[in-house]
Amino acid sequence: MPLFCRKNMTPLQRRSMQLMGSAMLFTVLTNFSNPGLPNPLLDVFPFLARYVFSRTPAAVVAVSVLAVLPVLFAVWVAARYLQAEPDEFVRALVVRALLWGIAVTMAGDAVAGALMSVYGRPFPLAVLNADLFFVATGIAFRLVQWSYR
Amino acid sequence: VKNCLRVLRAERSWSQADLAEKLGVSRQSVNAIETGRFDPSLPLAFRLAALFQLPIESIFSE
Repeated sequence: MPLFCRKNMTPLQRRSMQLMGSAMLFTVLTNFSNPGLPNPLLDVFPFLARYVFSRTPAAVVAVSVLAVLPVLFAVWVAARYLQAEPDEFVRALVVRALLWGIAVTMAGDAVAGALMSVYGRPFPLAVLNADLFFVATGIAFRLVQWSYR
Repeated sequence: VKNCLRVLRAERSWSQADLAEKLGVSRQSVNAIETGRFDPSLPLAFRLAALFQLPIESIFSE
């Protein structure tokens, strides 16, 4: 049975995956960079929209700081997992997958940056980064594991 | 680093899963070490040596 399979996860792995899922949700909830994107917080608390899109200095700082929180949370989850994982082989696989995830995210950022410059249309990179990072890391983990078969 | 884990395991009629359970690692870890594609850390090598009651150098060689 493959590693990190739903039926084959240790409690630590299961907990870390759940926390990573929370980090993805957190990314959506803290994304106030574009009023056109859905944000459940704004559906529940519509009065927030008036404040976060007001572009006052305080609102700009608050929106910027909020965007950092899910990234720090994801880094904390990964660090906590790697520190506690007793299986060094699995640890090595996860580190390699994380590095591939970061590499793909950086490449995606470069492409998105170029496209945004060419077409002059901004896009919330936080959401793009989160999607790219989590999907690329997941696929990279399976590929890295497959390479050891 | 080469090793004779497969032979030692076969002598005791242990499966990879049995050895993995005794070491507290995944079966994939045992497979990767056996095939020489992953070199274990010193603590894990010591655990293997203790489990097989052999010196490390008789399990692993260059």
